[in-house]
Amino acid sequence: MSELQERGIEIQIRDLGVTFQDNAGHDVQALTGVNFDIYKGEFISLLGPSGCGKTTLLRTIADLQEPTEGTVRISGMTPKEIRLQQKFGFVFQQPVLFDWRTVKKNVELPLEIMYQSKEDRSKRADEMLEMVGLKNFSDHFPRQLSGGMQQRVNIARAFGIRPEILLMDEPFSALDEFTKEKLHEDLLRIWRQTNKTIVFVTHNIQEAVFLSDRICVLSPHPGRLSAIVDVDLPRPRTLEMKESPRFTELVYEVRGKFEGGSV
Amino acid sequence: MKKIHKIFDHKWASTLLWIVLIIVAWEIAATVVAANNRSPENILPHLYQILAAVFSTSKVSQGMTAVMVVLTSAKATILRALAGFLLGITAGFFLALVMKLSGLLEKMLFPYLMLIQLIPVLGLAPIILAITGDINSSRVIIAAVLSFYPVATNTLAGFKSVDQDKYDLMYTYAAKQRTIYTKVLIPSAIPYFFTGTKIGAPMAITASILVDTLQGDGGLGCILSQSLRHAMSIYVFWLIVFFSAFVGILSTYLMTWIEALISPEKRGIRKARREYKKSAVSQKVSVCPQISIRRRKAE
Amino acid sequence: MTQKRKRPKSLYQRIKENTKIQTSATVILPVLLGVVIVVLWQTQTLHHLFRTDTFTLPLLDRIGSILFDNIDKIWENVVATMVVALAGLGLGSLLGYGIAMLAALCPKIGKGGLSVIGAFASIPVVALAPVMNNWTRDISDIASVRSMVAKILVVMLVAAANMGLNAYRGLTELKPYSMDLMATYAAKKRTTFLKLQLPNSVPYIFVALKVSVPASIMTAIVSEYFAEYIIGVGRQIRENIVLSQYSTAWAYIATACIMGVVSYVALMIVQSILLRKYH
Repeated sequence: MSELQERGIEIQIRDLGVTFQDNAGHDVQALTGVNFDIYKGEFISLLGPSGCGKTTLLRTIADLQEPTEGTVRISGMTPKEIRLQQKFGFVFQQPVLFDWRTVKKNVELPLEIMYQSKEDRSKRADEMLEMVGLKNFSDHFPRQLSGGMQQRVNIARAFGIRPEILLMDEPFSALDEFTKEKLHEDLLRIWRQTNKTIVFVTHNIQEAVFLSDRICVLSPHPGRLSAIVDVDLPRPRTLEMKESPRFTELVYEVRGKFEGGSV
Repeated sequence: MKKIHKIFDHKWASTLLWIVLIIVAWEIAATVVAANNRSPENILPHLYQILAAVFSTSKVSQGMTAVMVVLTSAKATILRALAGFLLGITAGFFLALVMKLSGLLEKMLFPYLMLIQLIPVLGLAPIILAITGDINSSRVIIAAVLSFYPVATNTLAGFKSVDQDKYDLMYTYAAKQRTIYTKVLIPSAIPYFFTGTKIGAPMAITASILVDTLQGDGGLGCILSQSLRHAMSIYVFWLIVFFSAFVGILSTYLMTWIEALISPEKRGIRKARREYKKSAVSQKVSVCPQISIRRRKAE
Repeated sequence: MTQKRKRPKSLYQRIKENTKIQTSATVILPVLLGVVIVVLWQTQTLHHLFRTDTFTLPLLDRIGSILFDNIDKIWENVVATMVVALAGLGLGSLLGYGIAMLAALCPKIGKGGLSVIGAFASIPVVALAPVMNNWTRDISDIASVRSMVAKILVVMLVAAANMGLNAYRGLTELKPYSMDLMATYAAKKRTTFLKLQLPNSVPYIFVALKVSVPASIMTAIVSEYFAEYIIGVGRQIRENIVLSQYSTAWAYIATACIMGVVSYVALMIVQSILLRKYH
């Protein structure tokens, strides 16, 4: 914890509230009174059942959603300023790939938007694809790949732009358990190599405990922050840790934090 | 028996079966007609008679054989159809683009875009001829209008088919509006655009032939009317019927080919398929590419 | 869901987010454009634009008055055209659905039928119409009857192609596993068809009809140009132009447009009633 704090605060969230209007015109509070900090280089999870506002929180950090109340500051700037500096990497739940582009061209897309030279783009895309283990598939088209491979391309693309902050919205929820475990290890390895801040949205307690430094537990109706749990499992994490008593304890502890007891 | 079953595993086999069935039906009918009619070639000549007319060297009009007559007049008709078609699909694409760019224009024009489909544009052919007074430009205009609206509506549907995730992704990259159009919207709309052209191409040809019939100025439609009035051999009529049917069908397939030629995904998948076949032959099967191209159709 | 913001926003934003303004704009804007066109037409600005005169492009009130003066004769022609269009549409759709059924139940043989009928859709109407005229020459001594049959046959082919391709998709593009579910019940082919495939194809039938209703009317009009017997809205457009009676021709063009719109609206009403349970 103290080690984390020494790195300094990257994202500051103060009194954040987001209210939507449903089709009948009623106000629906998606988030209310959210206060917490995210430290530089941290792997933090936003965990909660559906309807708890975890995705809304992530989208607010990414400037995809404007807050109704309160503020989000990233290194002292607004999310919009950070977005315009192209410092976000966003991984959506669905692999948002472009059917008419090869795997490599998909990874190159944001680099094209950032006007990088052709050689740089190509080199960077190759590096990224090697990192996610898809070097041999760079000339394939998205529809020729399995769901897990598509999500890898998505991750390669997100890391390709060297983002300061990586925002991931339930990226593995549609994958099978075996693929998921493999991608967990890959993600942690890449994170260790790059040292970026990752904000990871999930509804899976084991996944959150295995990956994170800290877990923000959110509760629904209205969406709010119930607790922040420190995960003191040593790094690097290994799959064997999932069998350790500490892991089970942490899962148990996190589960207890949901307000209203059981979910 | 098993062998016959296997043959029908190929798609072309059943198409062939149907074509053979139609030919047989035609020939039976032609035989019946020939037995009961004084001039059977007016109603239903045998297919071999039509085929013979293709290779016949006898002159039917101004020293030209039947095939020469058909091909010379087809040139004018098809060139006009092509000009109108190109004009129409360009206009259709840009109208869809403009409607996507401006919500105001979309609201203003969308009902009219729907309405134009309900107007029998071919019925307007005579009046457009009267307004322009020139058969060539009216051919181009009508072909353009007819190929315009399927392209416009389908391309617009293509622009609208882009899901929110893609916009969100581009938003997180702080991509400029222009970039979103060139890198996301236009490539997404291309398959829809081609759906539109596949409908528009035969319509442009129909339009061009129809306008021909309205004024005696060469062209397939004009010769068609003349041969119906027995101004020349009736086989010219049958040649035109088969020729225009062939061109109409060909125009649709041509669009499919062009699409396959320029679509990077289809090109890539063809390449992958070839390589897969090659590697399968050399017994080094690694990854079987899942090849599936969804059919996209706009409502 | 629209987001409620507590921050001050620009007038432009407020207009953009106000659903009432947006809904009314979808009605007001097209009407506005329509009014502009009518004004341009009546003030002869359109005529200057197209370099034409009020003889070839008569003013709207003149077209309107001719429409009302000749209402009986126009009605007679409308009935002739609509009978052809609807009979062709009905028979053609049945034929198309039949082929789609054959292709869905017995794909090895039926699929070829679909591609053949799809090819028929690309054959220009202009080529089909005279052929049909020839073929129907001996079926009746009455010119109006054999002429009508010829026109119906042309419309039929066009409608059949449309229905065949769409109905096939409706019969085969089922929800995942629904066929497997039927198999676990050991349902007969006939039961599967009646309980699963047929209901599934109903929305697709309407997709086909949305295209083939206007297409049938257009085909009926074009085939009238070549018909032996002089009747129908399309034929009247042509006959009146030959006689240089442009105002009358325009009245028939207006009639053709109204026919297209009315039958489309009628189709939409039928669809909204029949497809209620699908939504």
